[in-house]
Amino acid sequence: MRMAFRLEPLRRTPLLVFLALYPAITGGPFLWAAMMSLRTTPEIFDSPYALPVHLHWEKFADAWANSNYHTYFWNSAVVVVTAVALLTVIGSMAAHCLARYRFRADRLVRLAILSGMLLPPQLLILSLFQVLLDYRLYNTLTGLIIVYVAGHLGMTVYILEGFFAQIPQDLFEAARVDGYSDFEIFWRIAAPIGLPAIFTTVTLNFIILWNEFLYAVVLLTEDAKRTLPLGIMHFMGSHQLDVGMVSTGLMIAITPIILLYAFFSEAMIKGMTAGAIR
Amino acid sequence: MLRALTRRGLDARQAPPGTLVAFLAPALLIYAGFTVYPVLRTFYNSVHTVRPHGVLEYVGLRNFAELVRVDPVFWKAVGNTAIFAIAGTTADVVGGLLLALSLFSRPPFAKFLRVVWFTPVLMSYVVVGIIWVWIYDFDWGFANLVLRWLHLGALTRSWLGDPSTALASVLVTHIWKWLGFNMIIFLAALYALPGEVLGAAELDNCSGVAKLVHIIVPMLRPTIVNLLVLSFIGKMMIFDLVWVMTGGGPLWSTETVSTYVYKRAFDWNTFDLGYPSAIAVLWFGIIIAFVVVMTRLLRPRDRLEF
Repeated sequence: MRMAFRLEPLRRTPLLVFLALYPAITGGPFLWAAMMSLRTTPEIFDSPYALPVHLHWEKFADAWANSNYHTYFWNSAVVVVTAVALLTVIGSMAAHCLARYRFRADRLVRLAILSGMLLPPQLLILSLFQVLLDYRLYNTLTGLIIVYVAGHLGMTVYILEGFFAQIPQDLFEAARVDGYSDFEIFWRIAAPIGLPAIFTTVTLNFIILWNEFLYAVVLLTEDAKRTLPLGIMHFMGSHQLDVGMVSTGLMIAITPIILLYAFFSEAMIKGMTAGAIR
Repeated sequence: MLRALTRRGLDARQAPPGTLVAFLAPALLIYAGFTVYPVLRTFYNSVHTVRPHGVLEYVGLRNFAELVRVDPVFWKAVGNTAIFAIAGTTADVVGGLLLALSLFSRPPFAKFLRVVWFTPVLMSYVVVGIIWVWIYDFDWGFANLVLRWLHLGALTRSWLGDPSTALASVLVTHIWKWLGFNMIIFLAALYALPGEVLGAAELDNCSGVAKLVHIIVPMLRPTIVNLLVLSFIGKMMIFDLVWVMTGGGPLWSTETVSTYVYKRAFDWNTFDLGYPSAIAVLWFGIIIAFVVVMTRLLRPRDRLEF
């Protein structure tokens, strides 16, 4: 039986007060932004912390259509979905190969791919700017997608390889006897069994890329190409005082994450911390 | 079929080179073209002056010499980043452990609290940064509102506009965002501790604090080292939040090494990618050196015997 870390009842009171307050500290700012997103800027300046009296849902339509948020949202969606799909396929193929087969230089290949996790973005971003200019991929969503895939391969392979390596070898010996090809072994055995780990990497990559700012701000310049984080920053820059509309924009950006979190909170917590717990 | 088996053998650890290449080629090609090559090019750029349209001039170590000897902004940025790295990392790890312990004591609604406490980790720096710029606003921000409510109006200020408080304010936001992450990792480590040890401490009438200092912290040592290193690396590279909240100002009071690299490369009209590359290379070396030293120093010396 596991013993809990228990404190005497008297000492527990401050703890319980803290426990009651801390959710307001972490969740409060987002709730506040959500309330402001449904109020107009004059209403907000009148009383910044009041509840919305009239729910101005039309602000969402306004931001979506007139402030280019539909463009930003779709750019983000295209970039993130494509990059995550590519990362999943390319990463799991490489991870399966590294976990399953012994070959010359396998250690070197593993070390090379995993070392990508340790490189600070500042070391890459300046020359990626040049490289993408050379390849005519600068200021294109394709360029950003490829950069995202390269940047997150290390972590993806790291998580997947750890999981694939635990699948019992007997399974693969048996598949060989049954005449499965190498590709069928990957597609029909390793991938389905590894689905929980694949799901974890999908979650992790989705959240990180949906929020990514540094690469996007360096590699995209045109307004029509901006992803959501850039779009919000741009809108904030040009409408500094329109707090109500900026809040609406923030909510458009975080709604997908909030919705997913409401339904898959455990999976998302697991995904975000996957690289640190092993 | 039989011939294929004999040729390949039944050893499922072996595969023909063609198969290996098919599995690995996409990853290796993207990695070589968009990670290895750019890194090497950054190193190459760091000893050149790199003008637009690919005009290069070899300058040897002059970029590095200028950086270390005569660049006051660089040293200001190093100082700020060091404060971030030391204060931020400490707060992250200590705070995360305390949060985890408060949930480990099994309070009511522990599951719900865990989910709410983790929320900021999922949000982008842009969203978090903008909301906190409002919280720190002089006229209607929540920080000053609370101070006025407590009749401490004299302490109100424009938190991000005042060079003496801007860095601390950004740091508080950064810690706020990441505490939940550290909490989850500590919580997982706490649940993995052998229950008998905690139980024995309970029987020995160990107080909560003694148990924490003498039993829990030593047993969590690997997790603590891991999180110290992770948090440290994150703080040494901090860019987004600073960029969104202050842009490095006022008066370089929140300038970090990363924001300075960005400014020298893309904001100032110096038209030279060589100098910022030198900063990036030097800083990468320093991060690696610190991580090596930290893991060496903090590595568990003896394994605990139960």
